[in-house]
Amino acid sequence: MFVDARTLSQRFVIDADVCIIGAGAAGITLARDLSGGSRKIALFESGNFDFDADTQKLYAGEVVQQAYIPLDRDRLRYFGGSTNHWQGSCRPFDALDLADWPFGPEVLEPYYRRAHDICQLGPYTFDPADWSTAEARPLELSQGSGLKSGVFQYSPPTRFGTVYRNDLAAAAGVTVYLNANLVQIESDESASNVTGVEIACLDGKRGRVRAKNYVLAAGGIENARLLLNANRVQKSGLGNAFDLVGRYFMDHPFVPAAATIFADDASPEMHFYDQHVVRGRIVEGYFCASDEVRRREKLPPFAIGIRSANAGIDAGVGNIKLPAMLRHLMSDSLDRKVTYYLPRILDRLETPVTWVYNKMWRKPPGHFITAYSCGPDPDPQSRVTLIDTVDALGTRMCRLAWRLPADFEQSMHRAHELLAQELGRSGIGRLRIESSSATGYDPMQDLGNGSHHMGTTRMHDDPHHGVVNADCRVHGISNLFIGGSAVFPSYACDDPTLTIVALALRLSDHLKSSVS
Amino acid sequence: MRQTRRSVLVYMGCVSGLPLMLAAGRGFCADTRVEETAAKLRALVADVHGARVHGRSYRAQFPKEEKPAVLTRLLCSSLQLGAQGIADLDNDALLSILDSRVREEFGSGDTVQVNGWVLARSEARLCALCK
Repeated sequence: MFVDARTLSQRFVIDADVCIIGAGAAGITLARDLSGGSRKIALFESGNFDFDADTQKLYAGEVVQQAYIPLDRDRLRYFGGSTNHWQGSCRPFDALDLADWPFGPEVLEPYYRRAHDICQLGPYTFDPADWSTAEARPLELSQGSGLKSGVFQYSPPTRFGTVYRNDLAAAAGVTVYLNANLVQIESDESASNVTGVEIACLDGKRGRVRAKNYVLAAGGIENARLLLNANRVQKSGLGNAFDLVGRYFMDHPFVPAAATIFADDASPEMHFYDQHVVRGRIVEGYFCASDEVRRREKLPPFAIGIRSANAGIDAGVGNIKLPAMLRHLMSDSLDRKVTYYLPRILDRLETPVTWVYNKMWRKPPGHFITAYSCGPDPDPQSRVTLIDTVDALGTRMCRLAWRLPADFEQSMHRAHELLAQELGRSGIGRLRIESSSATGYDPMQDLGNGSHHMGTTRMHDDPHHGVVNADCRVHGISNLFIGGSAVFPSYACDDPTLTIVALALRLSDHLKSSVS
Repeated sequence: MRQTRRSVLVYMGCVSGLPLMLAAGRGFCADTRVEETAAKLRALVADVHGARVHGRSYRAQFPKEEKPAVLTRLLCSSLQLGAQGIADLDNDALLSILDSRVREEFGSGDTVQVNGWVLARSEARLCALCK
């Protein structure tokens, strides 16, 4: 059932077994999975069914240090959350990715399988060989190459708000409240138990929710902001006894054109690492460091994709479906990410290849560019803090300080050097690492972020090192849980959505046993 | 960008059948022989102008390899061919050997960065030879 919170009486009171804040991938998954029993689930969504500029502004905040997409453009604040604009890339984290987590891949695996279906993906396999065709096949890497191939599967992408709207409308025990913003979390005097939350609508309507358990699933920045603002009892913010809330913010730095490759257009290997269709499914290969090289050289988890510069990169964004207003609103950031760099690169394509041997190119080589993203080590100085300015609901806004490691470019160059060596060894092509000194184009000027907000309430068994425990429960608080990528203690180079959904299913299992 | 067989400056060398020269510099009895070998190697390059650009950068990075004679000897060494061996081969055969060597160098990480390009050592030297 859906309820517009603005139609409720002033000072409304809602009772529930589980109160979920945020109807994105985590919140919707959780509500659906918890439904069907005797439990009473209340799911609160800040927005409505479609984009609204005033609601979106509630995401606004300051950005310092590393350039970042403005916070009110980076995420979407309406039913379905940021799944309304995700591109759909999915891959489960592997053992190395989960090395800093309190549990291994064997714990997440059954949830990944279920999440796989929820994200409407194809067969549950991420072996590049299973996604190889005559036209697009992975490069045969030498044993000592230091690289391996991986593959992302693409969700249609699943717009959770659209695909699961009817489910939630019919779900027993679930009420979805729209236009309902959490503005305060109340706790007992010892801050060990949440006693209620305050909900506000932009039209001035206010009310309260009392529940047995509460789940914040509002996103990696917003969850931290809500906890830091919940400072009536614990002055540093709820769950923040050890000054960890908001720290270790993580996102994927993304360099859209880190290198240029000249290679035979007809090489199937050059098409595996871009989006391509296999048995009706969109997949995309990528190069990453072998586990051994990653450990030995301390390289971050990275993914290098290859895009044809001749064909443009429309294929990469063709599946972004935005409401017209939002498309307009976000056009700057999309342009910046997607098209801005292409002319710069293409301008410089003419001459450098012509020295290559006549034997090597039976026909004029194809031009490709690489797209590099990675997951640097979590950094406590990358963080979300509060500022004094308040939003339209009177809640303090936040400041994001995102910091890249000093060796970011060095790692990126090393990753490309490994790739260049494999392309040369296999005779497929040559690679040029872009840099202002060597080629006149500084790829760092087009550095972007993946719009993946993670880590601000990181998971760790020890409250001195994490905000939530392995059950995603906030340390020291009996009934407050965090859903979503905010709990990731480390990350790979993957879109977090599949893991968000898997963790939501796991949390659901925990809550089912807890509530019952 | 690509050179046809006819446009390749084919260096038709001396008689074939001499043993390969394995050590750098061996087999070069006179400057003229070095120059002949260098010319044959240069002829493998499709676009000398482009190669010169990268060659300048390479020589700036490795000033000890500034002289064509040094570069020629180093190339012969990496190809495991002496002047006569190079002279005996037609361009296709020489390219094939060079191609194999280049792949080996990529595989073993014996690469250099020249104007951003990650090149096998031998192909970078070949560019450097194109003054």
